[in-house]
Amino acid sequence: MRSYLLLVYWTLLRLRSTLPLLLFLQTLISVGIVVGFSFLVPQADAVTGFYLSTGAVTIGLITVGMVAAPQLVAQQKLTGAFDHQRALPVPRMAMLAADASVWVALALPGLAAALGVAALRFGLSLTLSPLVVPAILLVALCSVAIGYGLAYATKPEVSTMLSQVILFVALMFAPINFPAERLPRWLATVHEWLPFGYMAQVVRETVNVPAGGVDPFPFAVLALWCVAGLSITYRVMTRRV
Amino acid sequence: MVLRIEHLTKVYRKGVRANDDVTLDVAEGEVFGLLGHNGAGKTTLLHQVIGLTKPTSGSITIDGRDVVAHPAHARQACSLQPQSQAPLGGMTPRQAIELMARIRGAGRGQARQRTAELIAGLDLEPWAATSGERLSGGVQRLTAFCLAAAEPGRVVMLDEPTNDVDPVRRRLLWRQIRALADAGSAVLLVTHGVAEAERVVDRLAILQHGRIVAEGTPARLRGSHDDQLRLELHAVSDATAAQLQPPFATARPAVVAGLRLSLTIEAREAAGALSWAQHERVAGRVDEFSLNPARLEDVYIGLVSEGGGDA
Repeated sequence: MRSYLLLVYWTLLRLRSTLPLLLFLQTLISVGIVVGFSFLVPQADAVTGFYLSTGAVTIGLITVGMVAAPQLVAQQKLTGAFDHQRALPVPRMAMLAADASVWVALALPGLAAALGVAALRFGLSLTLSPLVVPAILLVALCSVAIGYGLAYATKPEVSTMLSQVILFVALMFAPINFPAERLPRWLATVHEWLPFGYMAQVVRETVNVPAGGVDPFPFAVLALWCVAGLSITYRVMTRRV
Repeated sequence: MVLRIEHLTKVYRKGVRANDDVTLDVAEGEVFGLLGHNGAGKTTLLHQVIGLTKPTSGSITIDGRDVVAHPAHARQACSLQPQSQAPLGGMTPRQAIELMARIRGAGRGQARQRTAELIAGLDLEPWAATSGERLSGGVQRLTAFCLAAAEPGRVVMLDEPTNDVDPVRRRLLWRQIRALADAGSAVLLVTHGVAEAERVVDRLAILQHGRIVAEGTPARLRGSHDDQLRLELHAVSDATAAQLQPPFATARPAVVAGLRLSLTIEAREAAGALSWAQHERVAGRVDEFSLNPARLEDVYIGLVSEGGGDA
């Protein structure tokens, strides 16, 4: 616990100069999705508006976890800082936990801003479930876990490119900003195995609980993805070549 | 012995033999130098000790404990200054050193005191509160040293700590390295600065293509060359330097680098060599010359070129 706190402090201090910019960009992207997509769909009905607002939250979390985090890991690998960290006398899990906490915290302001703007823009009335906090934490943790797994397991050049592809897919080709029914059947089937749709679903259902209650299934799928991402990261972190 | 490495061999997947049957040990209070050409396997050796790389065969123990089987113990017992720059980001040297001391287990007061000591000892005061992104390469390197030295382990491993460091602070750095050993750590030091290392290390090993080709105290390694001298001439032009032909036998082929011609000769040739050099000077082909006992650097270059190294 002591090393965890010190490492959080270390990461915050190290990112000090880029942190404000990251926060700003992240908020901009989340809010931008709400505003920008409503240009694409001028007559947004209640369903579209709702999908866009909750989608903005999900995309915001995906941006931090699967784009910003892996790009920073890639940079650390290129500068040699990665080996420096791996040589520190602290439990590797404390290091991972510290990084993940910083990234999750980084995502929160943008998320609140996006929901606020969405409520104004589409005049949404939400019925929050108490599960909203664990749901958002799970989505955040899951995307950081996958982002780290990716960045740890692949070369820096590859992970930087992959993270761009992920953002593109999440924005345009995943059932995040629109219902899965609009996708071609094959792509919808693919998304039954990917985390994106489930991430959007847990955010949607906990922000505005549907009549049938919150579906536990997406939580389970995301937990599995989370475990997979973390185990890959941990394995690579402790691997000695 | 604090650190004991026995018959260590590391073969990478593509068949590169980075370390080949390396045996060495470093005692408490000792500074051990590791010299060798680029790619000789020095960094690989350090990485195996701290558990970033797994040996193919052989053993590594720290205070008698097998660290190949217990890499977490290796990270507790060692502090490493890697060859790459430290990940300071937006941190200032003072913040980074103090925080690293605490991450390595020091109390708050102790961390602060040790940080002040190191900053004063290396004359880093002018940059102590400058953000890491604005520091010069040399100051970053010194800060990286401080990160390893702030709360040093039983074994301190430094991978080319003097790179980019100015000559004045280099001396201060060597003093701090000595102080680490005097305080009870075993120091394993990788360097290309043969001439400087000669004055600081207690013992050293020369690594070539992954094998140790010579090992011992600087005096012992120089020993076999006590009957040899080095004649250095500075010619008036590069072309003249290349044309100079000594009328006596040299122990090794002449080395020309720009204006500089360097000859290793047998001691009995000294008188003849001096009068030839003086003759060339009077003739206006040579500006100045000097004759010195062979140094470790000559031994090193001799050993490495005999083995066909690329140093």
